[in-house]
Amino acid sequence: MHKPPRAHPPLPRNWWLKHRFFIAYMAREATVLPLVFFIACLLAGTVALLRGPDAWQSWLGFMRSPPVVALNALALAASLYHAWTFFQLFPRVMPLRLGKRAVPASLMVAGQWAGVLAVLLLFVWLFGRA
Amino acid sequence: MQHRDCDIAIVGGGGAGLRAAIAAAEQARSDRRPQRIALLSKVYPMRSHTVAAEGGAAAVTSPDDTLQAHFDDTVAGGDWLVEQGVADYFVRHAHRELVQMERWGCPWSRKDDGSVQVRRFGGMKTARTWFAADKTGFHMLHTLFQTSLKYPEIERLDEYFVLDLAVCDGAVAGIIALEVATGELTLLRARSVILATGGAGRLFRFNTNAGIVTGDGMAIAYRHGVPLRDMEFVQYHPTGLPGSGILITEACRGEGGILLNKDGYRYLQDYGLGPETPLGQPQNKYMELGPRDKLSQAFWQEQQAGRTGTFAGSDVVYLDLRHLGEAFLHERLPFICELAKAYINVDPVREPIPIRPAVHYTMGGIETGSQCETSVTGLFAAGECASVGLHGANRLGSNSLTELLVFGRLAGEQASLRAAETTFADMRALEEQADGQRTKLARLCDGRGSENWVQLKRELVQAMESGCGIYRTEDGMSHALQTVRRLRERYREIRVGDTSKVYNTELLECIELGFGLDIAEATCLGALERCESRGAHQRLDEGMRERDDARYLQHSQVFHRHDGPAELRWQEVDTRVSAPAARVYGDAGKGSRP
Amino acid sequence: MTTKQISIRRYLPERDDAPFWQPFEVPVDDSTSLLDALHHVKESLDSSLSYRWSCRMAICGSCGVMVNGIPKLGCNTFLREYDAEIRIEPLAHFPVRRDLVVDMEIFLEHLAAVKPYLIDDAQQQEATETYRQTPQQLARYRQFSNCINCGLCYSACPQFGLNPEFLGPAALTLAHRYNLDSRDRGKAQRMPELNRHDGVWSCTFVGFCSQVCPKHVDPAAAVNQGKVESAKHTLIALFKG
Repeated sequence: MHKPPRAHPPLPRNWWLKHRFFIAYMAREATVLPLVFFIACLLAGTVALLRGPDAWQSWLGFMRSPPVVALNALALAASLYHAWTFFQLFPRVMPLRLGKRAVPASLMVAGQWAGVLAVLLLFVWLFGRA
Repeated sequence: MQHRDCDIAIVGGGGAGLRAAIAAAEQARSDRRPQRIALLSKVYPMRSHTVAAEGGAAAVTSPDDTLQAHFDDTVAGGDWLVEQGVADYFVRHAHRELVQMERWGCPWSRKDDGSVQVRRFGGMKTARTWFAADKTGFHMLHTLFQTSLKYPEIERLDEYFVLDLAVCDGAVAGIIALEVATGELTLLRARSVILATGGAGRLFRFNTNAGIVTGDGMAIAYRHGVPLRDMEFVQYHPTGLPGSGILITEACRGEGGILLNKDGYRYLQDYGLGPETPLGQPQNKYMELGPRDKLSQAFWQEQQAGRTGTFAGSDVVYLDLRHLGEAFLHERLPFICELAKAYINVDPVREPIPIRPAVHYTMGGIETGSQCETSVTGLFAAGECASVGLHGANRLGSNSLTELLVFGRLAGEQASLRAAETTFADMRALEEQADGQRTKLARLCDGRGSENWVQLKRELVQAMESGCGIYRTEDGMSHALQTVRRLRERYREIRVGDTSKVYNTELLECIELGFGLDIAEATCLGALERCESRGAHQRLDEGMRERDDARYLQHSQVFHRHDGPAELRWQEVDTRVSAPAARVYGDAGKGSRP
Repeated sequence: MTTKQISIRRYLPERDDAPFWQPFEVPVDDSTSLLDALHHVKESLDSSLSYRWSCRMAICGSCGVMVNGIPKLGCNTFLREYDAEIRIEPLAHFPVRRDLVVDMEIFLEHLAAVKPYLIDDAQQQEATETYRQTPQQLARYRQFSNCINCGLCYSACPQFGLNPEFLGPAALTLAHRYNLDSRDRGKAQRMPELNRHDGVWSCTFVGFCSQVCPKHVDPAAAVNQGKVESAKHTLIALFKG
């Protein structure tokens, strides 16, 4: 056997810029960044609450600043985008069967969005009256 | 040059080759005999043309079916040119082999109770064709390939192109092959050899076959004195896509598809296949479920009468599946829907598919006895490359997938036994033969020569199509034979422009063309000398339009002659069980036993 | 008949050290596939061009190439679908042997590694009866048994591009196909391969493999269903001690 040694071509660093599908994938993965910021804000708020009214007021002020609002709006958009991608993938990873028939993927996606809507409604009901 | 030894060498990684390899391994294990099996193929096994078989595999299955009926269908389908002892062995072992495939994981389509589903097929008296949707060959090939991975004693030599056999004193001694990736010659010494290299459909311009179906093994055995038998019988499948020739399975008709001419008329009722069966109620051996030769001949008659339509420059008739409904088509014939959409932009759910006959199968091949061994000791052949005598003058659809299992297995077992009682030949004698091949290759690759291989190939396939078509004439066939002989002369001056070693596919094309020219001569000679009409061989010449059992109830055997024209002889046919009778379908066949 | 230009990335290891691009003008009509175009090049323009092909009906899996950076089968890619340039390269992430021919050995090794055959130790030799399998049981794995081993999914998978030891979409799908088969008892033997780092867990669900699959096998689904199985398998093993 005189086959040449195997040399797998290295993947260039910018591989993910070559196709919009890969860009969308990277965007999906990148949704974690604004979400990390949002969680950090939430943690800071909890700590501020423990520290007393002054800390709480300054945290509220921080949260009202336009860049922070913008970043949190981005986090909301990112989490919705992530949910959208996740909901698309879910029926493929967890196919469900009812009796002899497979549950159609579209129905499962719709069910998940209905769940999101339910959570939102619950949220409005709990906090909307205050 | 590489040197290797193995006990059994198998050439061809399609259904027959893989089945033979597994059978040889099992045989050796059960006899507690360590044997190494080399499986050589010019492509990766899962690329083999078995992959493209669609419709199914036949075996007597339902309680109301009988072995006698399958035997009778096969013998009558082959117009009594079938070796009846072989057909008997075949029908008795068919079911066992399909069950074995199921046990290996083949995803056969099922009935609600979990048992295997069967469908109707042309020329068969009842539904006995097992299927895996409309990708039966694909699933069988992958099941066999994957199962072969269980056996460490099977060593695959993928992308090895076999150039020649090594033969010593009338017995096979090994194989000389080219490693395609490196261009290096390999001398593989073996105690027994199985050829499972498939048919030669690529000799014809318009065919359903993959590019690799070039008859290599047939030519290799032929050059070593093994006769090619019944080569004049070339099957035209009635339903190929216009333009490409891509196969549209007979299962379409088995499931209830109908054939229409340009006026929307079911013309088959005019050709001894009627009366017309009601839409959606296909009946075995009637109309669209007649045998392939009759259906292709009916197309030709319609074409002559000007009742065919045209599609993309081809004369066509129409395969109408619309009444079967979308859900059924997507369940039973998903691949057909996909192919029609992709290659001619027709959705079978909504439109009839334009189709025309295309060369599909080589009934003849390397002559073997009932145990698959050829006249060269230790050399076996199985599958489409072989003529074990099952198909006679016309093969029934769904007999070939079963054939490659039944006879692939038999060849594997026999080769294992043969290898056990044989010693290796002397290496020096083999090296001499390998050196001969090296010299030939060097001459081919010296970059000289004036003949263009593309031109030669085009002239060959054109000659075969016009001379050995659905209907044949003395003039047409002699002209084809003369052309082939001239092309063989010109081939001596062939020019291979590419002189490199690594993946030199131009060189392979040229070698394949050389093989093809030899086989084409045998085909034309057999056709010309058979002065009758039988099965797939139909002549328009006066006095030859009918079957002539008195003179031609015989196999043709063509022998290769190195320095001269090939030679034809006739060989007796085994008709011990079923005496020749009229071959009739439709209402005319009512009451007759087959 | 009109013509179109295709550019092919050539590599002739015995002549040049590096690949180069070569343009060809090929005749096209509505039905011209990329494979037809390659045939035209080989037969009429440059006979030294090497590529794999066989069935020309999208079932043998030989003719995978990159078309403008996307893995495709040459035989069911039609030039009518391309207006501007058409750039043909060998399948990505595999070593190139010559022109459009890549080294598929690692793909075959990965396939063999997952024991892709029915395992049933209770099975007797020479059974005379088939197993029973209902259409519903068949439906669970049927889609995953349609893989033609063309390798397009490996060229679509950046994880395989980064780490060729990753078993990859087709092999993991095949393992899952047998794990889902009601006749099979071999899951316990296959899971160790799937549980490895180079098994299912190297997949990050990019999902492009399923986009390019010419047979709609959806390998990404199979691999990620494999993750669920792998997690279950690991948890159960943990509780069992």
